[in-house]
Amino acid sequence: MTVTTAAPGAERELSEIVGAANCIVDPGELRTYECDGLTGTRVRPRVVVLPASTEETAAVVRVARRYGLPIVPRGSGTGLSGGALPVEGCMVVGLSRMNRILGVDLENRRMRVQPGVINLDVSRAIAGAGYYYAPDPSSQSICSIGGNIAENSGGAHCLKYGFTVNHVVAATLVTSDGEIVEVGSAAADPLGYDLMAVLVGSEGLVGIVTEAVVRILRTPEATRTFFATFPSTDEAGACVSGIVAEGIVPAAVEMMDALAIEAIVAATGVDWPLDVGAALLIDVDGPLAEAEHTSARAVEIARASGALEIRTPRDANERALMWKGRKSAFAAVGRLSPNYYVQDGVIPRSEIGAVLREIAEAGASAGLRVANVFHAGDGNLHPLVLYDARIPGNEESAEHVAGAILEICVRHGGSITGEHGVGADKAAYMGQIFSDDDLETMNYVRCAFDPEVAFNPGKVFPTPRLCGDRPGPYHAHASELDGTAGRG
Amino acid sequence: MTLAPQSVDEAAALVREHAHDDAAFVFSGGGTDSGLGYEPERADATLDTRGLNRVVDYAPADMVIAVEAGMTLAALQAELAPHRQRLALDPAWPEQATIGGLLATNAFGPRRTRFGTLRDLIVGVTVVRADGTVAHGGGKVVKNVAGFDLPKLMVGSLGTLALIVQATFRLHPQPECERWYEVVGLSAETVGALCRGLLERRLEPSAVVARYEPGTRYTLHVLFEGFTASVDAQGAAWLELARNLGLAAHDPGVDGAPVRDETAHPRGALRVRISAPAAAFAEVDRDVLTPLREHVQGESVAYPLVGTFLLGGRSRDGADVAGALARARTACETLGGNLVVADMDADLRASIDPFGTLPASFPIMRRLKERFDPERRFNRGRFLGRL
Repeated sequence: MTVTTAAPGAERELSEIVGAANCIVDPGELRTYECDGLTGTRVRPRVVVLPASTEETAAVVRVARRYGLPIVPRGSGTGLSGGALPVEGCMVVGLSRMNRILGVDLENRRMRVQPGVINLDVSRAIAGAGYYYAPDPSSQSICSIGGNIAENSGGAHCLKYGFTVNHVVAATLVTSDGEIVEVGSAAADPLGYDLMAVLVGSEGLVGIVTEAVVRILRTPEATRTFFATFPSTDEAGACVSGIVAEGIVPAAVEMMDALAIEAIVAATGVDWPLDVGAALLIDVDGPLAEAEHTSARAVEIARASGALEIRTPRDANERALMWKGRKSAFAAVGRLSPNYYVQDGVIPRSEIGAVLREIAEAGASAGLRVANVFHAGDGNLHPLVLYDARIPGNEESAEHVAGAILEICVRHGGSITGEHGVGADKAAYMGQIFSDDDLETMNYVRCAFDPEVAFNPGKVFPTPRLCGDRPGPYHAHASELDGTAGRG
Repeated sequence: MTLAPQSVDEAAALVREHAHDDAAFVFSGGGTDSGLGYEPERADATLDTRGLNRVVDYAPADMVIAVEAGMTLAALQAELAPHRQRLALDPAWPEQATIGGLLATNAFGPRRTRFGTLRDLIVGVTVVRADGTVAHGGGKVVKNVAGFDLPKLMVGSLGTLALIVQATFRLHPQPECERWYEVVGLSAETVGALCRGLLERRLEPSAVVARYEPGTRYTLHVLFEGFTASVDAQGAAWLELARNLGLAAHDPGVDGAPVRDETAHPRGALRVRISAPAAAFAEVDRDVLTPLREHVQGESVAYPLVGTFLLGGRSRDGADVAGALARARTACETLGGNLVVADMDADLRASIDPFGTLPASFPIMRRLKERFDPERRFNRGRFLGRL
């Protein structure tokens, strides 16, 4: 039995649900949806639907299931691991039209939002009242909450405040049967298994989130930021370890190496010094006395660790500029090199110096430069491997170096991804940190939600996995669906 | 039959060994929360995890520790203390409670106000599946999104998905200073007002506990901890806030923790765990706790910034406790929360369900159980919906 590849009925039915304008079949328009932030791989979907409600989402899922179309959910399409990369013959469900904030409950510190709401817009909506939403991926001005939930997005400030999984407490889920199920609870400790724990970070494998309840936090009374430069990443790494050993939990500790600093200066015009080996951008926050005390101690530790220069912003504007420099780093590297490969790996914090040296060697041996800009506080590296796709073999070398970087991370006891996800990009690397038994156990989770593997097939797991010991998916023949043939 | 494995491999071998004879296992650790859930339908073998009590890996510089699941919380904290680190979890009975048991029951203490529960602290897990296979999830770094989050899924699963044999946690620094403050004689409304004041003033307590003892009104205990300068400043701000409401708050003047073990009660005593929206403190007091107190003699504590309420004690003579609990549960569920009877005597067990109304997502939970443990070998019937 093969999946039907030409069933015009599907498009017609989908169009009736979401409206013709929101059911995309034109090859030119489909091109927009051929990839997400992992731009090197492209697959044209069969159809893209843009539902406007939970009910429409459930209806399009039911149609797709009847026609045997794989289903790929998509938020803003900023993901870097190919989580929203279409699979052959699939229906992409774009959630961008579902972008309303449904409710704000300041007293209980909860908000209910649709999945297409942009991350930063959640915080903007409540900033005036003195609240914010903590997860802050660098793409926060364009990435969506739904995508953040799929990827368990982090950001610079998750060192102190945690990841998306710590901040999303309930969701409305459209299941693979096209049913609408409430998962989790706005109140603490919902009964039963912690489904939110596996739903967040499930990379589109268990269903489509159409509403979410997020925790919001009171904005800290004070934030103190400083920027420190060092002769090399070794001293900067020692500074990070020293701050942590002091008992300080900074809100964020970001490290940039010389190449990243060079790129940021060129792209944004910040007046950071160029003759240094590394820089740290550090935020501490909390009640005023706490922020004052910890920032003073952290500055002392930076000096003792061999800091060349320490700058503190004079006002909020200067602070914002410093952070703008950091958050624009990926784009800035684009000015140094026509192409670059973004890697995302994690290592134990104490290994930063050793690992960065190994990464530099891996790059040098392939004749490629590697820029590093990353979340040093939690050991989440983002090496950017610079290459020129016009030079034959250069792209392959870059991919090879990126792969070698993951091997280095794993050898040092780390992980193959800290926040960008596995998706299509890293499925092949899962075997480096998980055994077959581990992966089989994870597959139990997927199968409990989606026994026929309708959502995002081929992602996350290194080899295609079915759910077994259950009836396989029923795929109707095209003629049956057209009404020109039947069964039984 | 009690089995007492001394290693992960031995635990896996025991599960495999008994897999052929349709044996149903129950697991035991320190027994501090063994009343939670339904009585298991069958217990052909009890697997006691306390022999699994080693530190597997501790990297103080990375503030991460991996331990076997039978280690007690106190033993774990003792490993960390020389490095001025801690697992930021303070449940009752730390000398008895094992890491595996705490994970399985999702146990917590007052500091969850700031640090959350074990789901916010666990980063890796090793389990023995019902077929005897050893499997891992997560890792030993604090930030990791590779694969489904099996570590968090195990939290609160009551040993019905797999046997937890090892766990890895992120750690926090020991505070330089910790100080509890108290305000006595409060109405539920005043407790609510003080909590709003804490948020408004942007103070960051590690714990806020509203304790109710028979014959008194609420006493609010607030814990500030961290660097001394910060504790001093926050304590002063808190006292000012309370005095502005006309309340007599006092500075204890000493470090230390007068509030502990408030959830501790002898096994078999009635223990109720209530969850409700955090801002609904006064409603819960009026509609749930006050009616319950007419039937139950005991104390209650609440973490009002979390929305968690714990009530413990014994039935008053001739009281219709089951009826009172059923009505209290309805009131909680109406508010969007739940009421779990975490322990009770056999008589009460016959007349009240420990959990209450099944959530809409229960069919997914049932399928999880079917995937992980299709023969219902582990803690059969103990979990929500008698899974």
